[in-house]
Amino acid sequence: MTDAGESDEALIGRYARGDAAAFVPLYRRHEMRVWRYLERNVGNRATADELMQEVWFAVARDAVRYEPTSRFTTWLFTIARNRMIDSIRTSRQQVSLETLGYEAELVVQQLTTAPNAGPLAAVVVRDQAAALAQALGQLPREQRDAFLLQIEGDLSVEEIAAITQSSFETTKSRLRYARAKLRELLSEYA
Amino acid sequence: MSKVPPSQDQPDDVGDQYRRASALDPSRPSEAVRRAVLAHAAQLVAKRATRDEGSMTKSTRRAVNQAWWRPAILGTLAAAALAGLVVAPRFLALRSPPAAATPSAEGSVPNATPALVAPAPDTRTDERAASAPAVGPESTAKPRASTRSADMPTGGARPKVNAPESDGPAPVVAETASVVPRDRGEAQSTDARVAGLEARQRRAPGNTSATTAITAAPRPGTAVTPTEAPVDPAAAFRRAAEMGDLSGLKALLEKQADIDSRDAVGRTALMLATLQGQTNAVAVLLEYGADPNAADADGTTPLRAARAGDHPAIVAALQRYGAR
Repeated sequence: MTDAGESDEALIGRYARGDAAAFVPLYRRHEMRVWRYLERNVGNRATADELMQEVWFAVARDAVRYEPTSRFTTWLFTIARNRMIDSIRTSRQQVSLETLGYEAELVVQQLTTAPNAGPLAAVVVRDQAAALAQALGQLPREQRDAFLLQIEGDLSVEEIAAITQSSFETTKSRLRYARAKLRELLSEYA
Repeated sequence: MSKVPPSQDQPDDVGDQYRRASALDPSRPSEAVRRAVLAHAAQLVAKRATRDEGSMTKSTRRAVNQAWWRPAILGTLAAAALAGLVVAPRFLALRSPPAAATPSAEGSVPNATPALVAPAPDTRTDERAASAPAVGPESTAKPRASTRSADMPTGGARPKVNAPESDGPAPVVAETASVVPRDRGEAQSTDARVAGLEARQRRAPGNTSATTAITAAPRPGTAVTPTEAPVDPAAAFRRAAEMGDLSGLKALLEKQADIDSRDAVGRTALMLATLQGQTNAVAVLLEYGADPNAADADGTTPLRAARAGDHPAIVAALQRYGAR
């Protein structure tokens, strides 16, 4: 059975019933979204890797308890967010994106050394990546979290409000301000 | 209020920009994470399958118990009644009362009780009984015992099942058994987490080897108890790293000591220096080419140890040299 068109809920259900193969498409489908959500919130690749593993271990472990009363992505990003917050509380050393000199430099190096990147493209890509990292880093944590939940998790305002335990209006405001700030910061790259 | 940001319902230019930039971003989770996650997921399914097989065996046993339980009681009661009917007339005949008195219940029961009445409520005694009506059900009782030992899971929660099973009736056993898989699943999950490089567990106070090592280790500047006697150059080298003895370190490096040699638990000099918060020693080791990702036997990397030990300068140094 292929995973094409099969819903997340169906895949996690199959996995919970013992079909190990169902986990693979589920992971691949959401791998990058969860990764970006974590990495851009914690601002550190090593920590994001660790969290990534924890999140998916939890998904595999708790699959049998998943009840399709909510979307799989809501459940997934709830786990991801909880793990991330636990990690931040434990380490007490959340690193803001602005301070990630090493990481940003590495990103830029990778981008500019891409085999198909010409000199001009490299500059554009470098600028856009740097601008995105800086812009996200300038957002307050709650706004960045809400924005990433929406754009990476594809979650609705209601779902984000539920996950972040905030009111609908608060969440909506955070999203608006986050977008406004990002629009302003990224305007020259539009 | 005129500067209220536009609603998200408007054309999503920010989202488009974000996605464009994200598409160009080559950063992604490490291949090791992907492999670990998928392997763990498959492993969990295999464990669940094994557990389910155990549960099915238990269900079968439960059915066996029910099939055995009721006939055993009925058989025992029937045997007791039959024996009473056989023995009571003899008893009455021996006494041969001259009068045609009706044998009293008080007279017959006390004699019959030791042999016949006592086994009735204790079904385990029935397993040893030899009367014909009870033989059929008993034959299922012995496989029950063997089945129990055959499908005995290797879990810490098992004694919970055994206790009620041996002391109480079967239905209670079945209810208790149905709880066990959850407990065992938790135990398995915990095992998997511990075995699967879960970082927070490693960093959580008191939970992990890295943290334990760090909390057990004195802070820089305090007396350090060497973890091993410098019986050979490699041990001396590691000890120098642990103690922050820079001159000793450099001297041994110039004598071509193995920079990534490990102690009994897989710790390199870099790891030992990290655990002790010896920032300068870490810097020297990295400069001389120590492997920044050399994990110990528990899989704890120097970077994780440095984070857990709250040594930001060492974290930064390790990251500069490509520690993950």
